[in-house]
Amino acid sequence: MTQVPSAQEPVTLGVPAGERLARFAELLREHGMTVGVAEQQAMLHAATLCGALREPVVAAAWRAIACHSHREWKLWDDIYQRFWHPEKLRGGVKVSGQTRPSRSLRQSVQQMHEQMEKDAAASRPGGDSTAPQTASDLASSADSDDSGSSPRAQGGASRSEALQQRDGQMWLPQELSALRQLARQITAKLQPKATRRWRCAPNGRRLDVRQTLRGSVACGGELAQPSWRVKRTEPPRLFILADVSRSMESHAALFLRVARAFALEADARVFVFHTRLAEVTSLMHRDTAAVQEKVNAVTAGFGGGTRIAASLQDFSRNHARAQINRGARVWVFSDGFDTDEPALLGQALKEVRARGARVTWFHPTRQVPEAAALQRARGLIERFVPLASLADLANARASLH
Amino acid sequence: MGGPTAGNGLREERLLSERLQRAGYLADEDLATTVWLASALQRPLLIEGDAGVGKTALAIALAQAQSAVLVRLQCFEGLDLAQAAYEWNYAKQLMAIRLSESGAPGQRPLRESDVFSRDYLLERPLLRAISQEGPCVLLIDEVDRADEAFEAFLLEVLAEYQMTVPEVGTLRAKHIPQVILTSNGTRELSDALRRRCLYHYLDYPSLAREIAIVKSALPQADTVLVEEAVQFVQRLRNEDLAKIPGIAETLDWVRALFQLGHSSLPEDIAQAMGTLSCLLKTREDRFLMGADRLRQVVEGRRSIGVAEKDGQAAQASV
Repeated sequence: MTQVPSAQEPVTLGVPAGERLARFAELLREHGMTVGVAEQQAMLHAATLCGALREPVVAAAWRAIACHSHREWKLWDDIYQRFWHPEKLRGGVKVSGQTRPSRSLRQSVQQMHEQMEKDAAASRPGGDSTAPQTASDLASSADSDDSGSSPRAQGGASRSEALQQRDGQMWLPQELSALRQLARQITAKLQPKATRRWRCAPNGRRLDVRQTLRGSVACGGELAQPSWRVKRTEPPRLFILADVSRSMESHAALFLRVARAFALEADARVFVFHTRLAEVTSLMHRDTAAVQEKVNAVTAGFGGGTRIAASLQDFSRNHARAQINRGARVWVFSDGFDTDEPALLGQALKEVRARGARVTWFHPTRQVPEAAALQRARGLIERFVPLASLADLANARASLH
Repeated sequence: MGGPTAGNGLREERLLSERLQRAGYLADEDLATTVWLASALQRPLLIEGDAGVGKTALAIALAQAQSAVLVRLQCFEGLDLAQAAYEWNYAKQLMAIRLSESGAPGQRPLRESDVFSRDYLLERPLLRAISQEGPCVLLIDEVDRADEAFEAFLLEVLAEYQMTVPEVGTLRAKHIPQVILTSNGTRELSDALRRRCLYHYLDYPSLAREIAIVKSALPQADTVLVEEAVQFVQRLRNEDLAKIPGIAETLDWVRALFQLGHSSLPEDIAQAMGTLSCLLKTREDRFLMGADRLRQVVEGRRSIGVAEKDGQAAQASV
């Protein structure tokens, strides 16, 4: 048997190797892996079984022991190379005590936004409206006085290139999970529709006589195991219509994130509209760069104005004709500025209401928008909810049921 | 140092890899090591990966390679102890009671412990795996579909290889079974379960490996056909499909092409549109992959989207 090639070889047993292994385990723990004493023992044991000379085998064995999820599985190669073969990494990265990467770009941007939000809030005590920051802003929001009230700072970027605006991707993972959790809570509070049917349930309150008798056949007619049942309920259908027209550009990313969360948690059908209506439910169930691009293509293709009334009519007459019924919820995310005749919106909402669906209007402004169409149709809308940030959604939790 | 045990370990691992190959499963080195380690350490092995990458096939091949009994437990929502572990045979118990009631006067009266003994226990997969006399592979398929309560029950079985039946006592495994759990990631498994298992993430195979897999499964098919078809499927996986075709789908497709008498991929892929139902399993995917798009895929051209292009540029500059 030949000698172990270098002192850095992972599997020289004895005290130094044990210590090095402990340090390696510490590094793994710093990256969020669960590597305790039991795992270290298993790793040593595996090294003994595999022998010192086949490093790939040992590495594969250790990977199987130390990793417990797909995230860790993907991290492994990098950490392993960094610790045992720092010489192979370009630039000779040395592992020191500080192993966590410094602030990522996304985090820096997030911090910058927070800072700017704070500054903006401090500078305007009313906190309600800000002046448009770019020329294109002025041009596009001539008909609205509220499109600049987004709490998100614009950072001086031009808004004319919709594809360049990546606000929606600047979310931190913990914010995304907070949104998912919020959506789950709200979904759980949406009142289910009771039906006249029953279903089997082990912890039900009512005896299922038929099932019990059928089950007793196996025991020679003895009623050994009773079956139970409960009322069957159906979760309410949820439809989300998000306005992605030019005047809503800065909010579209938030709207789509919220819509995505509900598409996943409440199985909502999601539509986007500007001058036309398009369904994006299937795109909401996947989250890849290519899907994001498709959503961008749908939302950014038209720019132009908004035809809320026509879109709503299209929605209720064609897309969801069979599904809008009593108990269905229709959530519209929009500022209410419509290029259609104001009377048309009332008509379109009446059609939706006539089928028994309930309409909730989410607006990005603090107050209910002053748009004439919306003011006329107020009676047909069950509830107005401000939605400009996650905090707004959290506040609305109590009223959505 | 490793010494004789180390040599044995390596030899056993290579042997296992060969046997798996003979059973029709081509495992890469890492996977072979992990499977061997799981048996050496007597730990269950949790395998995750997309549908159709060969998670279940591994367990079946492993049982064949070790000439062990395969016990399979398919998990689903609402799976309970009676279906997974054991159940009392009520009919048999009642019959025994009735017989003893009407039995001859000299017969010993029936006691409770008589009726609640091993004889009256119906073995379900978990108990069957534990009570095997010879080598056994226990496959717990799609464990993420079962609910959390069942997962908690599994912990005792997987950690100690024993099961507690209140009326009988604790039943220990005579021969420790090799346990393989598979998961599609529809639900997050608990940390406790994950920690008890070795972990392996099974990815789609490389081009060379997939060609080898298809060739070993379909030795009579033309080499040119196999190579071209596998290359096509590998490119198809880079497309933005709702359901990415796995190895099983590749095998189906090559089999279909072979039975249609193709000795290579047809010049114009549009001719093979009918067979593509083996690969594209949703309506959206069929719609997405029109004849023109398919021709592009065959030629290896791709239209790269804006978002992806940015990512690639960033990767290239690193």
